[in-house]
Parts: sequence; C-alpha cells; structure tokens
Amino acid sequence: MIKYILKRLWHSGILAIVMSLIVFFGLYVVGDPVEMLSDDEFTEQDKIELAIELGLDKPLYEQYFTYTGGMLQGDFGTSFVYNRPVLDLIMERLPATLEISLLAMIIGLGIGIPLGIFSGIKNNSRASKIISFFTTVGYSTPNFWQAIILIMVFAVFLQWLPASGRGLTNSMFGIEWAWLSLNGLQHMALPAINLAIYKICMQQRLAKSGTQEILYQEYMTFARAKGITRNRIIRRHLLRNILIPIVTITGLEVGGLIAFSTVTETIFSWPGIGKLLLDSIHMIDRPVVVAYLILITLMFVFINFVVDVMYAFLDPRIRHQK
Amino acid sequence: MNNTPLLKINNLTVTYPLNSEGSDVLKALDNTSLKVNSGQIIGIVGESGAGKSTIGKAILGLLDPPAKLVSGEIRFLGNSLVGLSEAQFESLRGNQIGYIYQNPMTALNPVLTIGEQVIEAILANTTMTGKEAYNYAIQLLERADVSFAKDRLQKYPHQLSGGLCQRIVFAIAIAAKPKLIVADEPTTALDVTVQSSVLQTLIKLSQEEGIAIILITHDIGVVSETCDYVYVLRNGKHIEQGETVQVLEKPMQEYTRSLMASVPLIEKRLHRFALPNEGKIEGISSHLGYLQEERKEDFSSNKTILKVTNISKTFYTPSTLFKPKDAFQAVKNVSFSVNRGETVGIVGESGSGKSTIGRMILGLEDITEGNVIYKGKDINSIINSEDRLAHYLSIQCIFQDPYSSLNPRMTAGENITYGLKIHKLIDSKNAKSLAQDLMVLVGLQRQDADKLPQSFSGGERQRIGIARALGYRPDFIFCDEPTSALDVSVQANLLNLLKDLQEQFSLTLLFVSHDLAVIRQMCDRVIVMKDGEALENGSNENIFEQPKHAYTRSLLDAMPKFQGLAQY
Repeated sequence: MIKYILKRLWHSGILAIVMSLIVFFGLYVVGDPVEMLSDDEFTEQDKIELAIELGLDKPLYEQYFTYTGGMLQGDFGTSFVYNRPVLDLIMERLPATLEISLLAMIIGLGIGIPLGIFSGIKNNSRASKIISFFTTVGYSTPNFWQAIILIMVFAVFLQWLPASGRGLTNSMFGIEWAWLSLNGLQHMALPAINLAIYKICMQQRLAKSGTQEILYQEYMTFARAKGITRNRIIRRHLLRNILIPIVTITGLEVGGLIAFSTVTETIFSWPGIGKLLLDSIHMIDRPVVVAYLILITLMFVFINFVVDVMYAFLDPRIRHQK
Repeated sequence: MNNTPLLKINNLTVTYPLNSEGSDVLKALDNTSLKVNSGQIIGIVGESGAGKSTIGKAILGLLDPPAKLVSGEIRFLGNSLVGLSEAQFESLRGNQIGYIYQNPMTALNPVLTIGEQVIEAILANTTMTGKEAYNYAIQLLERADVSFAKDRLQKYPHQLSGGLCQRIVFAIAIAAKPKLIVADEPTTALDVTVQSSVLQTLIKLSQEEGIAIILITHDIGVVSETCDYVYVLRNGKHIEQGETVQVLEKPMQEYTRSLMASVPLIEKRLHRFALPNEGKIEGISSHLGYLQEERKEDFSSNKTILKVTNISKTFYTPSTLFKPKDAFQAVKNVSFSVNRGETVGIVGESGSGKSTIGRMILGLEDITEGNVIYKGKDINSIINSEDRLAHYLSIQCIFQDPYSSLNPRMTAGENITYGLKIHKLIDSKNAKSLAQDLMVLVGLQRQDADKLPQSFSGGERQRIGIARALGYRPDFIFCDEPTSALDVSVQANLLNLLKDLQEQFSLTLLFVSHDLAVIRQMCDRVIVMKDGEALENGSNENIFEQPKHAYTRSLLDAMPKFQGLAQY
C-alpha cells in the first residue's frame, strides 16, 4: 500500500513537470504579456522596465527554473495582471467553483441514479422510454443553450431565481461561501442546475446499463428466492454492484466540473475559477495559468487515488486480490 | 401418509417467444405433471433444454418475462401458486419453499459479506432480530457443516471455496425450515470429492427438518444415490417416471434407455458405449488416402512417442494495488511417458495442473523446469520455425469449450482448413473437398461445411474441432476435457467417435478430464493428479480396481455410483 502511494506520488510529480513545461513554453509562443499589459501611452523604456519588473527579460529557461524553483517552496508566483500572489487569487475563487460543482454533482447523482435504476428495472415501460428520450436530448444539446433557456424561463419569465452573480456570502473557516444563506443558494440554483443537467443524463445512462447487467445475475434471482423484499434487493444487492462503475466516472466528472465549468461560470457571471482561467489566458497571465493547470493536474491525480480506494471499499474482490 | 401432496403440478406449459411478435414459441415445458409428498426426495433428470430448471423457477414464481406460464396449475399444500403477486411470493419464498442454485459462486452476491446474506434471509423469514439472528446464523452454518462458522460470517464469497459457498447456500435455504427445497444442479459446479460430502449435508439437513427436495440434475449417479422417485424430461415433455431403481435400470421408454446407456460407468470398462441407432460413417471419397498416409519419418521402431521428465511450471502474478508479486507452482516435478497408439488419461480436480501439462507439451506454455521428449526430440531444443511447424503439425489439440474454440466469422469448412492453407499444406481447390470429407468423417453432413459455427450444437461444434485437428494428420492429439461442456448422450457419441478415429488413424491420445468415469472408459493408462503433483500412475485396471494412493481411493469413493442398465 505504501509502495503504491509512493508510486502514485512519483507519477504525479512527473505529470506536474510535463504539464508545467507544456504550459510554460506553450504560452510563450502565444504572445507577449508585456504587449498585453501596456497601453498606448507606454514608451519603449516603460515596456523594458515592465519586462524587467516581471522578470521577462531573462532567457526563457531561466524564467522557467526561477518560477518552478519558487513553486517548490510554495511560491506560485505573482500575477502579471493583478499584481497579487497567484495562490491568493486561486484560493479566493476556488470555493465558489467548489460549492457549485459539488451541488451540481449531488443533484446529478441524486436524480440520475434513481432514474437510471428505475428505467433499468422497468426497461420496456413507457416511463422508461420517456426518461431515456429526455436524457438523450439533455446529453446532446449544447450546455450554453440550456443555460440561456434556464435564464429565460426562471429568471426572465417566471422571475423566481437570479440569473447572475454569487449573491450574499458568509464566512466559514475563514472562507466566503454562498450556500450558507438563502440568497446565496438562490444565486447558486441556476448555474448548478445548468451543470447538473449533463450529470443527470450521464448518471441515468450509467445506472441504467449497470442495472440491466446486474439484474440478470444469478445472485439477484437467488436473493429473490430467499424471500427478501424487493426494496432491500434494490438497495443492497443491486445498488452496491452498480456503484462500482459509477464511482470511476463520477470521480473524473467531479474533476471536470471543478476544472472546466468555464462556460457556465461565464454565462451566469459566477466568480469562479473557470472565469479566472479564461481571463488569464486572454491576458497571457502566465503564472496564473501555469499554477492553475498544475494544481488541476494534481487534483486529478488525487481524485484518481480516491477512486481507487473507493473501488476497493466497494468491491471486496479487489481488496483481497491474490 | 397425508393425502394431499405437498406439491402438485398439473399439465404445466411454459413458453418462450422465439420472435418478437410471439407467434412462434418454444415450449420449455409441455403439459408436464409432477407430485411431491412431504419429506420425499424426487429427482428430475434430463439433458439441456429439457425444461428442468423451468419447473423450479415456476414453483417459486421466478419465471421472468418473456417466459410465459400458459396453462396448467401448481398447487402447494392445496393452494394454487399460479398468478400470485410478487408480494405473495415473497412471503412464500424462503419461508415455505427454499431454493438452491447451481453455481454457489454466482448465487452469492460478491460485494456483500456471508453474514449479511445469511442474516437477511433470517430476518426476512423468521421473527428473530439482532443478536438472536446473528447467533442463529452461526448455528445454521454449523449445521450445514461449515467449519469456523463465526469467522466465515465476516468473509466474502470469493474468499471461500465453492463447496463452502454451497453449504452456506444450504444454510440460507433451510433458515426458516421450509417444507420444500428446489435444488437446481446443486453439485454440478463442484469437484467430485466436494460433491459427495456436500450432497450428504443436503440430505442430512432435509432429513433432520423433514424437508422435501426436488433435485434437478443431469447426473444420473447423483439421482441413483439420493432420490426416491424420478421424473425424466426431454424437450419440456414428460417421458417417464417411477421409483429410482425402476427408471434407471429397467426403463420403459426408448429415450430413457439410450440416456442410461450413455452414462459412463466407473465399475467396468466397455469397449464402446452401447448406443441405439448409432449411424455408420459412409461416403468419404477422395481424401481418405491423404488422411491415412504415414508421415515420412518412421519411428515405429521406437515405442515411446512422448517422454515427460520432471517437468514443473511456475506462474507469476504481477504486483497489484494491494498485493505484492506472487508465484504459484501449477505443476510440480511430473514424469510420465506415452506409447504410440495408446490413450493416456490425466485425471484430477480443478487446479490440479492437468491442463497445464498438456499446454506445455503443445508448446503453448514455456516449461519452467524439466524435459519433454516428443518423437525423440526435446521440445525445449526447438528453436527454428521449421521444427516448430513440424511439432505443431504432429501434435494437435481438442479444446474444452466448443463455443469459443471455433472462429465465429468463418464457416465450419474454413475453420477446419485455414491453418492448412496458411502453411500451404493444401491448395484452396482441394481444401473445400477435404473439409467436406472431414465433416463426414466426424459424423456431420458434407454440405454443412458451408455453415457458420453458430448454426451447430455444442456436440457438433466439438466434432468440427476434431475434424480440424485431424486435417493436420497428427500423430498425437491432446484432448482437454473435450466433453465436459456436453450432455451425456452427446458425450457418449463423441467418445465413441474418438475411439473409432483412434483405431482408424492410429492416433495417440492424451486425455485430460475431471470425470473419472470418462477416463475409465477412454484410457489405457491413467495419471492421477492433485495440486500439481502426479500421485499415481498406472494401468486403467490398476487405478480403478486396486488404487494405491489414498487420494485416488477417496476420489473413487466420492463418485456417485450408478450400476448401469440391468441387462449389462
């Protein structure tokens, strides 16, 4: 186990290095931050001073080593644009993304899995076909279009929910959260639902195919022959087995939500991390982009690890493998 | 005795639709009737597709769509079971009628502990709760002869052997002291030594509790040892019924008689199975000469064709998340030799390493240690492709599973000859007629060479596999459980065919099987294996009539005894 964790750490280290190289040099090719930051009134002298100030006058490899050297000591650099430590910027916005991603995932799992199990068991029923129709539509229409429809219906016509911003936030553990107040929750609702639509559809499909596979296993028939109730068969015998593939996908999906909810965050002006990434790429704010992507890489490695452990927890055959 | 039978089935018909409209149906059960008195053990025998399992499922209300109960009645203690709701069945299942599944490893849920699976049955069917149910679970396992019962409750199914799992399934079935247990092939998936003790446990439990048993099986030996009364089914139709001895030894019906004649006996060796209506093979034209032609090299001076000296095989499993790298010795220091034209059998239970030996001789597995000398040549020394080809042509294999050993995208004929064509041993013009000849040789139709494998039954596919092996004009055929996936009547036909072919083409056979009776009928000499070691090696008569090793004796004792038809 310890050997395995060490191996995982080693792999993630290599991944982080590769990632930093690609992003660092990739952004260098895209454009010159000095040009992006300077306005019309800047003289050549001003620009040179700015470059020296940002450390952009040195050779690229030297910039890379200075930057990564700092990162190893916990210093993720200073944003070119905001002139503030990158870590502060990210940590300021991460909670907003986290809370909305988790809410979306909870909605996705909470609605998707029961729908999937239902349509798996009642495979040929009309209800099951209707559910499958809607999940196919939900899965294949563009996310931004769904967002616009949501805004039109709930914010413009019905005026039940606000369409943009994060609303009131309250502090917990020194971090500002929106979900602690009703107003904040109302603001979260639309973007979270927007993100959740895809997840509901995906979970429904996963749970449905899982159910159909497990339902015809002999232990399901035997469980019925034992005389235990249908309810218990679904809760213990079925659910436990279909969760195994669902956990893998859900792990990756959570990562994807946190890292790449950029479109939704932009449409709903949600001050999350996705929006920060988009702005930073625009401005070639290299420290922010590099730090962000490395953190995301590490997050995926961590999620994969958690998925492996969950796997072993759910499936004793993996735990006791010979 | 009580006048109302415990269970009575009258003219039951169950169908499965064969097309989506349901206009064409398969009758899984066709007007079948059955009666069970309390405390009685009745057997239902028949080959695959006979409808045996369908009866069991119908009694418990486990027939799921598209299966349809068309007509007939099922009465349990006088009350009709036809058309009960799922909830009504729930209160009946486990409580009044227990069920035992064929394969204990798949009947238990792999992700739940044994304890949870036993206790949930107790909670559902008795008034016990909490600590009381837990203690009762331990008590049940002990009564089903599960050792370390308390520990086992903590375990998961994959951590226990098949035999233990089946005992746990028994414990679940008797939890609420039902009046009837439907046991669907309860010992088929188990090794023979485990089989008999597991079966004894089942009988003991039923006698203690006065539980009637419907024993569904294809194994005539098991029926002969355990049942009071037998029903014979074929294609959903009721063929014959009666007292066990009567039906098994003096059957009235033609089908029952041929079924009984197909059962390989352990008591005495017959030259061949006495099957009625066995067709003679005729009409092979052009290629018989080719097939019988001797190979150029002549080893007739040397009697020994294969000599195996101290071979071992070790498998390594790579390290995983939770376990380091591991080594497993499948074969330990085994030696034997095979003479030209004889049949040598390797018998052993699952995991004894018998197939691995064959795979090493074929060159499909590396030999970890030791030598295999085939036709005077050490197969470890084969390094160039010419020698390797000669080796593969001379040694062929018939595989266990007829469903996966043929390429489903090629016709039967192409399956038989594609290897020959690749090695340019035959041109495409002659390939077709050779394939057709081989089809006839193994008892199939000439024109069937153009059909795809899925249009053949399991037995027919295995014949195609034999035809494919014969096409190479081998001297030696390794038969890896060639009949274990087949019904007993199909098996008897196939074994007769193998014997005929062996005589006709002077083949040497290495025959691997877990079935002692099949080995008894087929082999001249026998090697008994256990856990990778060869425990005993001797002539057929010596091994079966005067076994020396204790393990061989225990294997023979464990075999369910069936005397065969009365006239023999």
